[in-house]
Parts: sequence; C-alpha cells; structure tokens
Amino acid sequence: MSEILLEVEGLDKRFGGLHAVKNVNMTIARGEIVGILGPNGAGKTTMFNLLTNFIAPDAGKVVFNGQSLRGVKPHKIVTLGVARTFQLCRPFVGLSVLENVLVGSLGPRVHHPDLGERAMQLLSQVGLAAKADTPAELLSYGDLRRLEIARALAAEPELLMLDEPFAGLGSSEIEAISALIRQLHAEKNLTILLIEHKLREFMQLVSRVIALDFGEVIAEGLPAEIVSNPRVIEAYIGKQDPVAVVS
Amino acid sequence: MEILIYGAVTSAIYAMLAVGFTLIFGVARVLNLAHGSFYALGAYGTYVGTGILGLPLWQAAVLAIAFVALFGVIVEKVLIRPLRYSQLGVLMITLAVSLVVEQALFLIFGSEYRNVPAFIDTKLSIGGVDVAGQRLLTLLVAVVSIGALYLFIQRTRLGSAILAISQDAEAAKYMGIPSDRIFSLVMAISASLAALAGVLAGPFLSVQPSMHLLPIVKAFAIVIVGGLGSIPGSILAALMLGYAETLVAYLVSTSWTEIVSVLATLLMLVFRPAGFFGKRAAF
Amino acid sequence: MSGFKQLDKLSGAAGATALLLLAAAPLVFPGTYLIGVLTVAAIYGIWAVSWDFMSGLTGRENFGHSLFIGVGAYAAGFLNVQMELGPWWSLPVSMLLAMGFAVLLGFPTLRLKGPYFALAMLSAAVIMQRLMLIFWEHTGGEEGIQDIAPLIRNHLHYYWFVLALLGVITFLLGWLARSRWGLILRAIRGDEATCLAAGIPITTYKIVSLVISAAFAGLGGALYAHYQLQVSPQLFAVVTSVTIITMVYVGGMGTIFGPVGGALLLTLLTEGLRNVGEWRLMVYSVLLILIIFFLPDGVIAPLWRRLRVAVGGKP
Repeated sequence: MSEILLEVEGLDKRFGGLHAVKNVNMTIARGEIVGILGPNGAGKTTMFNLLTNFIAPDAGKVVFNGQSLRGVKPHKIVTLGVARTFQLCRPFVGLSVLENVLVGSLGPRVHHPDLGERAMQLLSQVGLAAKADTPAELLSYGDLRRLEIARALAAEPELLMLDEPFAGLGSSEIEAISALIRQLHAEKNLTILLIEHKLREFMQLVSRVIALDFGEVIAEGLPAEIVSNPRVIEAYIGKQDPVAVVS
Repeated sequence: MEILIYGAVTSAIYAMLAVGFTLIFGVARVLNLAHGSFYALGAYGTYVGTGILGLPLWQAAVLAIAFVALFGVIVEKVLIRPLRYSQLGVLMITLAVSLVVEQALFLIFGSEYRNVPAFIDTKLSIGGVDVAGQRLLTLLVAVVSIGALYLFIQRTRLGSAILAISQDAEAAKYMGIPSDRIFSLVMAISASLAALAGVLAGPFLSVQPSMHLLPIVKAFAIVIVGGLGSIPGSILAALMLGYAETLVAYLVSTSWTEIVSVLATLLMLVFRPAGFFGKRAAF
Repeated sequence: MSGFKQLDKLSGAAGATALLLLAAAPLVFPGTYLIGVLTVAAIYGIWAVSWDFMSGLTGRENFGHSLFIGVGAYAAGFLNVQMELGPWWSLPVSMLLAMGFAVLLGFPTLRLKGPYFALAMLSAAVIMQRLMLIFWEHTGGEEGIQDIAPLIRNHLHYYWFVLALLGVITFLLGWLARSRWGLILRAIRGDEATCLAAGIPITTYKIVSLVISAAFAGLGGALYAHYQLQVSPQLFAVVTSVTIITMVYVGGMGTIFGPVGGALLLTLLTEGLRNVGEWRLMVYSVLLILIIFFLPDGVIAPLWRRLRVAVGGKP
C-alpha cells in the first residue's frame, strides 16, 4: 500500500455566481500517474490553480506530504515539492532555453555543485539539449511544452502537475511527450497529476482517472471503467462529440 | 456658494481633459502623456492667432483647435502607432513629445505668462457671487461638448465602431472596422477637447511653457480614480477632484491643491487600480 | 560551465582601463572645469547604473527615480546645515533614507503593471517635490538648502573619490546582474506567473532590487549635494528621471556598464551644448525619441559588443 502524497477534501470555489469547483475530494498516492478528465469548462485548470494557491480556495483541505497547503504562497509550494506547468506555456521571454531551466533550479530542493550542468542534463532528457542557447520565444509549440516540463522538473519536485501537456500538438508529438512523461515517471519516481480532455492519451499513460464535470467529481477509476461510465459519456455528449472520448 | 461655482468650473476643465485622455486609452490602449501639450498648444495657438496674427478671437480659436487636432493625429500616426506593442514605449515617447513641445514653446515665447483673450469679458453675478463670464462659458462649453461627444458615441454608427474597438480591437478588425482610421479620429477628438479646454481656460489660468504638466497629472489622476476607459467614470471623478481641490484651496491653502490629485492617484493605484468604473485593472 | 553569464575578462579589463583613463584625464588636461564636468558625469553614472539595475533588468521602468535622488540629497542638506553634523554622515544616512522610501513605495506599487508602476512612481516624485515646497520653512522652499559643506575640499580628490565609488558600484551591480540575481530579475521581466511556478518569491526580489537601486541613487544624491553645495526641489523633477533614463537607453538597457558610458556621453554633450543652453532639454528629448525608435538597444553596449568581437572576444 503506497503512502498518500496528496489529500484533497471538500475543495470549493465560487466566482460570483459560477460555482467553479464543487466539494472535490481526491487522494493521490505516491508514484501514481493520475489523470483529471473533463470537458472544457469543467473546472480542471481552476482546480490546479486552487491546489497551488494561484487562486485561493473558498473552502477545503489540501494536504501534501502531511503538510497543509492552504494559505501557502505559490512560490513556497514549489519548495515543498509540488511543481506545475501551464496550459498556455509562457516561457521567460528574453532568456535562452538553458536559462529558463536554470531559473527553475534555483530552489532549496536542489543540491548540485554545477547548476548549469544539471540544467543541460534536464534538457537532454526532454530532448532540447541542442537548443540550449536558443531564445525561448523562438521555440515551436511542442518544444515549448518540453521546456515547460524541464523547467518544472528543475525544481526537483515530488509531485508534478501537468496542465494539458498535449494541447495543440500533433499526434506524433503527443506520442513523444507521452513517452517522455512515462520515462520521467520511471526514472525519477515522480507522482504525476495530469489534466487532459482527450481520453485517448490518458488510456495509455495514466493508472487512474478522475472525471470532472461542472466542477464536481462524477467518476473515478481505471481508464477502461471511465470510458464506459454513463455519466462521463453524457458529460461529453452533452458538450462535444463522443468521438473525442473514445477515439 | 463660491465654492460651488468655482468647483464646477474647475471640474469642467478637468472633465474635458480627462474625457479625452480616457477616450484614447479606452480605444487604443494609449496612455498619452502628451495630452497636456494639446491643452497648452490650444492656449498658445489662440495667443498666436490673436496676438501675432491679429485674427478675431473666434477664428484664432478654431484655427488653434484644428492645428492641435492635426498635430495629435500626426503624433499618433508617426510616433505612437509603431510603438503600440509596448505600453512603456508609448509612455516614454509621449513624455518626450511633451518635453519637446514645452521646450519649443519656451524657446519661441519665453517663460513669461502670455495673454489669451477671453470670449466674455464681463463679470456676471450668480447667487450673490461675482463670477467671470469666461469661467461660466467654460462650464457651459464643457457640458455641451462632453454631452455631444457622449451622444455621438452612443447614437452614431461611427460611435458604435469606436465602442467596438475599445471592447475588442481584434474582433472589430475582423468585422471590417478600419481601426487605424478610427484611432486617428479618436486622437483628433481627444486632442480637440484638450485644446478647447486650453482656449477657454487660457484667459484665467496661467499660460506658460510648463502649463502642460499639471493638467496631465490631474487628467491621469481623474482617469485612474474614475477608471481607465470609462467616460462616465472620468466625469464623476473630475467632479470629485475639482471640488476636492477647490475645497482644499479654500479651507487649507492653495499650495496643497496639487497634492490632492497626485495623492488621489497614488492611493487609487494602490487600493483599487481599476478605479471606480474601470474595466481594465492596472494589474 | 555554470550557465550564468560571465563577466568576461575582456569586458572587465576594458572597464578597469576606462576607469583609469577617466581618473587620469584631469591630470592630462588640468583645470577645475573638466574636473567639475567629470564629477557630475560620474554622479550621473551612479544614478544611471542604479536605475538600470532595477528597471533595466526587470523591465519595470521607474519614472520616479528622482525621488530617491532628492531624498538622499536633502538628507545631506539637513544633516549638514540644519543639524550641523559632519558631512560624512550624509553618505550612510542618505542611503538608509532612500532605502526606507523604496520599501514604503515598493510594496504597494510593484504589483502594478509596467506603465502604472512607472506613473505611480512619477506621482510619488511629484508629491515629494510639492512637499518640499509646501514645508518651505524647513526645506528652504524654491531655493532649497544652501551652504552645504563639501566632503573633500580638493576638487580633484573629490572627483577621484566619486569615481572610485562609481567603479565599485558598477562592478558590484554588474556582477550581481550576471549572477543568479540578474537571472531572476530578467525572468521576472519574462513572465511573473511562471516565476512563481518556478518557486521564485517575485515580490521579495522586486522590492529588494528597488531598495538596492534606491540606496545608490540616494548615495549619488548626497554626493551631488556635497558637490553643488546646495539642494533644490528641482532635483525631484521629472526632468532628472528622464535624463537618467535617456542615459540608460543610450548606454544599453540592462547592461549596467553601458549606462556609465551613456552618462559620460550625455554629460559631455550637455556641456558641449552649454552655449545653446536653452536648447539642451530639447536636444535630450528629441534624442530620446530617436533612440527609442532607431536604437532600442542603445549605442554604447552594441558598439562595445562589436569591438569585442573584432578583437577576438566572444559576441
């Protein structure tokens, strides 16, 4: 039985009249790769923002490694071992690819005599070593995602939260990044929480899925179970086309 | 009673300046620090027209305003538009323009106060208070011009185009609205309003090269308090600030009046950057 | 390789050489006039470098730098004239006072977006200027404080003192700018949310860099006060800030060393234009416009980079 790394209880947030996240409960064990699934507008990114305190929750407990994250500033959460990426990658404009990763490695969790070398190693792992000196703003979309992942990894996290890492990518890129995530998970013993709204990628990557709709958890279980779950299908048919769920 | 009237006149002038300032920001996202220069050039233009060219006041005033409108359009096209990607760049360049104008005025006319003739020379008596007719005229013109502008924006097709651009410039372009030409138009309106204020207020406010500074500080204060991009907000804030200053001048001392607006700016930026009615926050 | 930009030996050597040449200049061309000009240039250099460290790196242009300068200068005036303390007290006190103001102003204003931060600082400087005039009984009003004692009577020695400070401050801030400090400040310029996600306490860094910037601006203010032997509210004016910003633009934003060259160049230019005294400000403003449009990377820094490559150094 693996230990519980992240425990979320009663997470709730309203924006005026919109109840964005409704009483969400969730438990993530160490070493899992968990996928958060839901149509657009289900509250997935909001949940990420709440967990990392980029937005303050209205209510709820968030406990990471036995420590409450409520009220902890976003940058401090990183030092506790949680790293996140953004759906819209925003690299440090004006800095090179290497420098981008370097910035991520300045935290207290990193103990390495040569930060530059470590950054290069990370870049090699994500496949960007050749572009180390390129200005970050010139990267392609797929490369930006790799950079985001490298930057998040640079902080030596225990929990890696990826917000729609496959958005806007073509299928070969998606496979490559998927393989990368699997590899990193194995090598670094990371726990990964991942948002996507395309189930196909999930099927191969995650060990468990939590499905959201309109801010609440509507189903939880193995990918195969989720795909045939009537509520999940309804959520998708109601919003977009069912092909997206099973293709 | 005096306070009531003087406060109204002051507010009227500020409102004219603030509305123009907020208009160009709302539409083009341009913080135009040269706005005060339009005000100054309006006053100086009238002075040149009457004092040097010997034209009748009406003609001089109209010419001055036309000149300033043209100047504004040129500045927008040549200096501001290329830098629109950087708000700071626009800030720097308009600041530089205001300094160039100030220096030019100083070099040409020297630093003594110049005389701009008034439209109405007589004093009127309202509620037992003697008020210069010119001040009342200023109040009247301000109300009329801002009212006209408001109607123009709300009721005409061109006005709708302006509103569309201020809400979403990209979408407006897709709908075929010629945003570049609208920017020029809005700049012309904005500059004309400021110049008009200068023409009217010239007779009773000081006319010297650095006269652009205080108006711009106050216009900025008003626009921040009222909310950037909101005309009703600017009018409300102009009233607030105009009266606040008048009260301070009467109750405390005139040297503190300048601080009122700047302090208001600072406080507003700190506590409520969106202003009272603003649509865009400062962060 | 450590990944951080290194202060390469060539640049360091060039900087040291330039410093020596500047120090030697009055010996080659004797006369208090040159010493005076160079002293002022050096003080502007300190101001420009301090501005560049914060605003040049983070991209948050501070339009109210003159506030820190004025505060430091007036502190010197107060201490020396009103409180009749020895002039050397000015230096630490001016720095501390300016730093205090930076903390006070920084907290509320640094979370504002670029232009609003710039204008908030501008407003603050205008308020200070007004306050100096309002409390004229204590501050001397329009005329300010007169008869401040010099730090070092000998003009040449004072010049060398100021130059030495300029050298120390420039190398210190230049080194900081190329260390992880500078990296973080440039990252803040890149994207603040991503900085937070990378674990960087951006508010702390922004405020501390503003404080550092203010400290040296205030120090420069005190040095200026002990040079001019008087201070006036004009120091707080927008013009001062704009002049300094122009110098940084000319030198090259974010390079720290460039602004020193910018300060030197523009001060000499000002002196050269002394005959057409009234046109000075006009020239500055037009110059600023031209540079923003045509040379956004400045003059000095790009020039130096070309020279460096020509001599075989790295680009």
